Amino acid sequence: MASRAHLWFVAPALILMVLILLLPIALAGALSFTDYSLGNSGASFVGTENYERIFTRSTYEKMFIATFRYVGVVVPLSVGLGLGAALLIHSLTRFGALYKTIYFLPVMAALIAMAIVWEFALHPTIGIVNATLERGCGTFLEAWPWYAKGCDRTFPLWLTDRDYAIWTVAFIGVWQAFGFNMVLYLAGLTSIPRALYHAAEMDGATSGWDRFRLVTWPMLGPTTVFVVTISIIRSFQVFDTVEAFYPQGGGPSKSVYVMMFAIYEKAIQQNLMGIGAAITMIFLVFVMVLTLIQRWLVERRTHYG
Amino acid sequence: MADVGQAAFRNAAPRAVDGASSGGFRFSTREAIKHAVLILGALIVLLPFYVMVSYSFKAPHEIMQNTGGFFGAQELFRDDFCIKLGNAEEDCMVRPLNYNYTTAFEKAPLIRYLANGVIVTVSIFLIQVLVALPCAYALAKLRFWGREAVFGLVLFCLLIPVHAIALPLYIMLAQLGLTNSYAALIIPWTISVFGIFLMRQFFMTVPDDLIDAARMDGMSEYSIVWNVMLPTAIPALLAFGIFSVVAHWNDYFWPRIVITGNRDLFTPPLGLREFKGDADGDNFGPMMATACIIVTPLIVAFLLAQRRFIEGITLSGMK
Repeated sequence: MASRAHLWFVAPALILMVLILLLPIALAGALSFTDYSLGNSGASFVGTENYERIFTRSTYEKMFIATFRYVGVVVPLSVGLGLGAALLIHSLTRFGALYKTIYFLPVMAALIAMAIVWEFALHPTIGIVNATLERGCGTFLEAWPWYAKGCDRTFPLWLTDRDYAIWTVAFIGVWQAFGFNMVLYLAGLTSIPRALYHAAEMDGATSGWDRFRLVTWPMLGPTTVFVVTISIIRSFQVFDTVEAFYPQGGGPSKSVYVMMFAIYEKAIQQNLMGIGAAITMIFLVFVMVLTLIQRWLVERRTHYG
Repeated sequence: MADVGQAAFRNAAPRAVDGASSGGFRFSTREAIKHAVLILGALIVLLPFYVMVSYSFKAPHEIMQNTGGFFGAQELFRDDFCIKLGNAEEDCMVRPLNYNYTTAFEKAPLIRYLANGVIVTVSIFLIQVLVALPCAYALAKLRFWGREAVFGLVLFCLLIPVHAIALPLYIMLAQLGLTNSYAALIIPWTISVFGIFLMRQFFMTVPDDLIDAARMDGMSEYSIVWNVMLPTAIPALLAFGIFSVVAHWNDYFWPRIVITGNRDLFTPPLGLREFKGDADGDNFGPMMATACIIVTPLIVAFLLAQRRFIEGITLSGMK
């Protein structure tokens, strides 16, 4: 009697999956070989020209450099700080919940709003960051050459100096993301059976480092695989901060020209759909390969673990 | 790691001595160092929140000169825009706090933006449930030809981040003439493969007897989904709802792409961004007030129901 019901249950989801998730990938794939732009009736086939451009022109080289720099900083730092914060909080006898709440706040707040606030905080003349740094002038901090130089002249223009811009944007990425990783690690830590620590102790693992190395870290393996993957995928997709700071051009000398912003600029602002579609395809390949590696790692673990 | 402390204590190792006990409260240097590190971290995390709230209280000159402490002096100051409109000077003296928050609502249709935010997030969630729940039920509890293939497709689609395919979606919507509409804001999110996957996993744990009993009572499959399965799934749905609402209330990328110029359709993040675009010295306070207003609902909800929120946001960790 349930013979027909499933059709009505599955069909809407199936149709939407095909139309909203699969068809666009096919469309992007097809358009990436054309010079299509919105408003033009047709488009001509240009072969792999778009891809060749992406892998030869310096603009796109900058795009890859900016993206990989951002991912390369945000992923290790947000995972490391997330783990560090989780370990510290987990070992506390009191106030752990308070720190957890505070560290999670950036995850909840709209990133675009916080980006605008950070821009204020980092402003060279009215910003609180450089004002605070200036207060440290004349103290022992001047022993640090970088600091003395800042006191001598001015502290960096965090967002507009091309030597600092990408790292500052990455710092904000870490600021926003590590609380999320911390919460996942805390969940992982609470699920480690206490008996394992006792057992490790019997076997002579007496120092805190030994216990971490022999019990905590291996037991957190699945959490780490997941946390690293989701951090990579999310940091690849960075857009809000970049667009808020550099609505045009992707920062000083294009040093913050990340992939999502490149897609937005080329395709939406300049109506170069072909090149935008090609970047989209490269982006998708990155993200999907990463997720597949994660799944493979998790499955391998569940088989042998 | 609580065990670590205990173990050290039990072994009566010399390093446990620094935990001298004094009337129930145990001070230890180790613990103090941990707190010092965590407090430093907390200060950095809270810095922008401090700036945001503080600036939303302050007068323009206090912001420009970095004076006035956290709350600002709250002295009356002259609103130049009001004078430009031809009012007398004494009518134009305003308190910074009032000025910032009233300007936030008057300069831009902030109420409208907030309403749009609510309409979009709520519609997205409701449609997601409407689509995902029956599908999840069918995948978990009904036997039919092609079930494995559909589930395989769901697993494949989990690989695709919707933001990554924003461009082709935009082209499709533009060809259909749907950009600059609520539909454009909602359509790409109507299908949540993650929601299907999550609900399916949840329904797998519901005993078959419950469903058989309902069928015995003559319930149709439709009413089983909505009257039997839905109530059992409330906790999972709540977590998924939080996940969905937080993601879409805060989303900036997608609205930025499909809403071009039509302010009536702006969601809160777009409204704030627009504000930034034409902000001059006098508007920094109101802009920060707008940021506060946009960020506050979720932060307050989070503080009230932390456990649920953390569950919901980290749902994706359950994959």
